[in-house]
Amino acid sequence: MSANPAAQTSRAPSAAFILKKSLISALVALVLFSLMIGVRTEAGPDGQLTYWTRFGDLAAIVAAVFGGSILIELFRQWWGPVDTARIVPAPVQGALSLAGRLIAPVLLAFTFLVPVLFYDERYILDLGILVLTYVMLGWGLNVVVGLAGLLDLGYVAFYAVGAYSYALLATNFGLSFWICLPLAGILAAFWGVLLGFPVLRLRGDYLAIVTLAFGEIIRLVLINWQSLTGGPNGVTGIPRPTLFGIPLTPGDDGLAAMLGIEFSPTHRIVFLFYLILALALLTNWVTIRLRRLPIGRAWEALREDEVACRALGINTTTTKLTAFATGAMFGGFAGAFFATRQGFISPESFTFHESALVLAIVVLGGMGSQLGVALAALAMIGGFELFRGLDQYRMLVFGMAMVLLMIWRPRGLIGHRAPTVFLERKEAISSDLVKEGHG
Amino acid sequence: MSAASATPLLAIRSLRAAYGKIEALKGVDLDINAGEIVALIGANGAGKSTLMMTIFGRPRARSGRIEFDGQDITGVPTHDIARLRIAQSPEGRRIFPRMSVAENLQMGADATDSSESDRASGLERVFALFPRLKERMTQRGGTLSGGEQQMLAIGRALMSRPRLLMLDEPSLGLAPLIARQIFDAIRTLNRQDGLTVLIVEQNANHALKLAHRGYVMVNGLITLSGTGSELLQRPEIRAAYLEGGRRE
Repeated sequence: MSANPAAQTSRAPSAAFILKKSLISALVALVLFSLMIGVRTEAGPDGQLTYWTRFGDLAAIVAAVFGGSILIELFRQWWGPVDTARIVPAPVQGALSLAGRLIAPVLLAFTFLVPVLFYDERYILDLGILVLTYVMLGWGLNVVVGLAGLLDLGYVAFYAVGAYSYALLATNFGLSFWICLPLAGILAAFWGVLLGFPVLRLRGDYLAIVTLAFGEIIRLVLINWQSLTGGPNGVTGIPRPTLFGIPLTPGDDGLAAMLGIEFSPTHRIVFLFYLILALALLTNWVTIRLRRLPIGRAWEALREDEVACRALGINTTTTKLTAFATGAMFGGFAGAFFATRQGFISPESFTFHESALVLAIVVLGGMGSQLGVALAALAMIGGFELFRGLDQYRMLVFGMAMVLLMIWRPRGLIGHRAPTVFLERKEAISSDLVKEGHG
Repeated sequence: MSAASATPLLAIRSLRAAYGKIEALKGVDLDINAGEIVALIGANGAGKSTLMMTIFGRPRARSGRIEFDGQDITGVPTHDIARLRIAQSPEGRRIFPRMSVAENLQMGADATDSSESDRASGLERVFALFPRLKERMTQRGGTLSGGEQQMLAIGRALMSRPRLLMLDEPSLGLAPLIARQIFDAIRTLNRQDGLTVLIVEQNANHALKLAHRGYVMVNGLITLSGTGSELLQRPEIRAAYLEGGRRE
């Protein structure tokens, strides 16, 4: 080391810097964890407070923070500063862009094949349905948050409206799923407009607070309006969906009997899988189409600069309301699907946690990016399952993964925004030339 | 300039507007004839931008009357005013940074029920005026230079095929050479297409040379008006806006 004095001098201050930074981190950890981990309290047998110290664990945590922050700093130096341009060799770049272009069709084809490949694995099919539900919710919220830039923390309200619409219409009036589905969407869109009116003038954090409250109001109404919603007991006996009137039951009029094949409960799961896949793809298709129309363009312009929109004579009121209504409608569809899949719904399924999860999917995926949202839903929901073995630590893993992702990819997994107006002929402008500057 | 038609394209009579309790316009009278370039000059905070925004319906006029082509537009909502094909290039350009140049331009046409052929001919017109924008079609608005962004802001306003174009400080923050290009483009628009332009400027020298007529605004009131060259000759104008208080 001493043989290379230049390296020595360039390293010496950074070593001190790393040490200092890590010591500060350790100190913060010590303060933070001294009560959280250092002292354990519990109710004794007679209800009195008993406590004991766990200084060993505390020391281990602080040491881990100290060592960890040294490692992170070293890693950062090796990695180089964030956001600097790095020269990537052309072939690697080419391969990456090819992979980027192929990922969506490959993913779609794979999704179509999931019920074929995993026909006997009920667990995977159920997981696939769950992931697709969140993909659909993510795509729905993406209209509001990603395109129109309206931060909505109460998206679960529309999910709930859709679910209860179907559940109540089906159980009280015996309407079929296919009639209730559009009704659920319309009702949810109606509530979206209802939420939209009072928040027309609000932006950013203020909007977030009101939408958060809206989500809670809907949930509390569902809990307390016992006569209609059944309160905390929820709605039971929600009819299963039929294939345009043909039930998927073992009876004589069931689909299996009609096709002359042996009945299997998996048929229904596969049907549900393709149903939610179709609904999600519908959401995607509508969103992509709308983005190319003036209304979708106005949503994005609204996200960029509301004042400029007004200066151009864009009607910001209808633009915002249509964004809320469209997003809510897809939430309502997803809710109706959720109700028919579960057969039972209660207010417990529609807590703020769901809103936060869907919002996290949208933000992680890259606001406005359809593929990004799908990947993020797969990573989040699939990841939850993958790390089930980690038990209570899985939230820790997720928090960490999210923090890292937001540091390295602050615009989300797919931060690139696809243009909606195309030139008639393709011009030789590489995507590297049109990246956005910072500032 | 040929003789002005009997009724002006835009007529403003004793217009008052306020932000809360602060009165920004205290009874403004202003006429813009069809085919004219009118410059509105004045110091910071004189109410120039407010006047332009009040014409566009935000903030609303407290009293007074704004007539466009004989129609009272004083209480008309902003998006309906845009439909009458009054276009605005707002102060500070305000292009959409993450949207491409082409999308930015399309946004301009969206407010005025434009057909596909309207859009195509609009694009052609903008590209003829600012060839630079054509080269930058696929680029994001935010990556353009200041001058190009100003071109984009004007181009975006032109996409609505305006009958009256209102420009708020088009030379703001631009190098003199670029500012000259912008002013030249405005002159071209006026001469070739007969476009009526209201230009709000602090760069009084440029604006008055460009304009057929000018108005000087002080503290929410029009204090002087006349042809561009007349105003340029007025000693008080020269002292206040052109020579930094120096007298020749």
